[in-house]
Amino acid sequence: MLVEHPDETTGLEIASGLRFAGYAVGICPGPHGHGRCPLTGPAGCAPAHDADLVICSLGYEHEAAREVLRELRTRYPDKTLVVETPHDMDESLRELLDGCHQLPAPASPEQIVTAVRSLSGHVAEAGSPDA
Amino acid sequence: MSQKRAHLMRSPFHSEREAFRFLMVLIVAVLAVVLAAALGPGWLALLVLGLMFGAVALRWAQLRMRKVRGLELPVKMAPPHVGPATERRVLVVANDTLGEDALLGEVERLASVPDTRVLLLAPALISSASRVTGAVDKLLDQTRVRLGTALDRVGHAPVVAGEVSAAGPLQAIEDAFATFSPDEVVVSTRWDDAAGGLQPQLGSLVRERFAVPVRHLVFESGSAAREPDRDTEAAYRHGVGEAAARRFGLRALAGAGIAAAVLMSMVALVHSSERQEARAASQVAAERAAAEPPVATQVSLSVVPEYKRGPEGEKHDAFTVTEFTVRVGHPQKLRIDNTDTVPHSITAPAAGVNIVVMPGVHTYALIVKRTGTFLWFCTFVCDEWAMQHPGYMSGYITAS
Repeated sequence: MLVEHPDETTGLEIASGLRFAGYAVGICPGPHGHGRCPLTGPAGCAPAHDADLVICSLGYEHEAAREVLRELRTRYPDKTLVVETPHDMDESLRELLDGCHQLPAPASPEQIVTAVRSLSGHVAEAGSPDA
Repeated sequence: MSQKRAHLMRSPFHSEREAFRFLMVLIVAVLAVVLAAALGPGWLALLVLGLMFGAVALRWAQLRMRKVRGLELPVKMAPPHVGPATERRVLVVANDTLGEDALLGEVERLASVPDTRVLLLAPALISSASRVTGAVDKLLDQTRVRLGTALDRVGHAPVVAGEVSAAGPLQAIEDAFATFSPDEVVVSTRWDDAAGGLQPQLGSLVRERFAVPVRHLVFESGSAAREPDRDTEAAYRHGVGEAAARRFGLRALAGAGIAAAVLMSMVALVHSSERQEARAASQVAAERAAAEPPVATQVSLSVVPEYKRGPEGEKHDAFTVTEFTVRVGHPQKLRIDNTDTVPHSITAPAAGVNIVVMPGVHTYALIVKRTGTFLWFCTFVCDEWAMQHPGYMSGYITAS
């Protein structure tokens, strides 16, 4: 599982919940003030590539975050995405999120873990449940 | 759930603009190499190619430096929790601070929390020099003694366990994640980078790498533990990044120096072999010229009616010289005294020669533009037999 969350503490809470649910996790803070996201570069992102499911909570009012989401959808069209979505979505974001599992923001770590657990049956069909 | 979509061919470029820019740079680079190869000596193309590779290497080093300095996005990783859901595992990493009362008090406090297991990990801090010389046993023994004393003082076995690692601190922690799968990590260091102790930068490096809560406890000898604030942690991390960048920079510089030396050697080799080839070619040409028969720059001859007897015994018109030897492209002066009352000629169509020899004494230039031996003859009607027989009003021009 890859958790994309800009807040370190919340990211760790989500990761902790997922770890106790039996999943290996990675946490990425996203592009806000942390330099360039490798996913949008030629090298790509190994954790995103290896993850069976990606939890995206980067705040999609920012273009940089949308760029990451766009890359994820383009590079890994079959990857399961759980996206924390804002209430007022514009048309382009709605289009971008088509087919993703959406959670209205702000979602608590428990809600996210529950959503992942409910989706993990699907994920297990494609790969190992703990990756 | 995500819908099934067709797999797309993914371009490695971020945008069309970037792809276009790459294409332009590639075209300019290829053009520069081709031009250098076409217009300059061989070594120039090699030099331009070397500069191109140098530019690519520089860009790679720049990107690598960014990564080394920690400017790339850090992704923290952690394996799943191991053991019952109620159990909490804490990894405490320490070496030189294992004797601190405050640290041992913290370990005791952790161990006294129900369903908690603590692993005291003590990396032996073996330097590269010690690894090379094999002097690792003493350091391992020292660490074992330090850890044993700490475990004795804490008690709480088997809740608190200990482990000594011969690997570097980060590698040892990574190994502990694979075997112990901690839910929290406590890193214990001094404030300053002390010899034989864990570096204070370790806290931020562990926090950057592992997806579990990390606490960094810093000790002054004999005092209570403190956690450095964000700025101090950032300064520690910056220090690590800068040191790593310096090491990488030095290595890159050494690599660039070696590459430049190899390139310059290749250029010098090509340059010297070209000069040798040119010298050898001019030497061969000089030797060939020396081996060839000498060529006169001026020949004097006459055209005389009834000059020579033919095999049948009758006298025939003739040039006094009928064999000419010339250098290709070099004019040979012919001073001809035509004693006849009519013009004659030295005509060799294959050699592009047609000299009309007027009565009287005149000087003409004989120029041949290709090598070979060419038959010449007189085209003016005179002695018909002599016109058809070399040695009379006909002969040969040899050009070399």
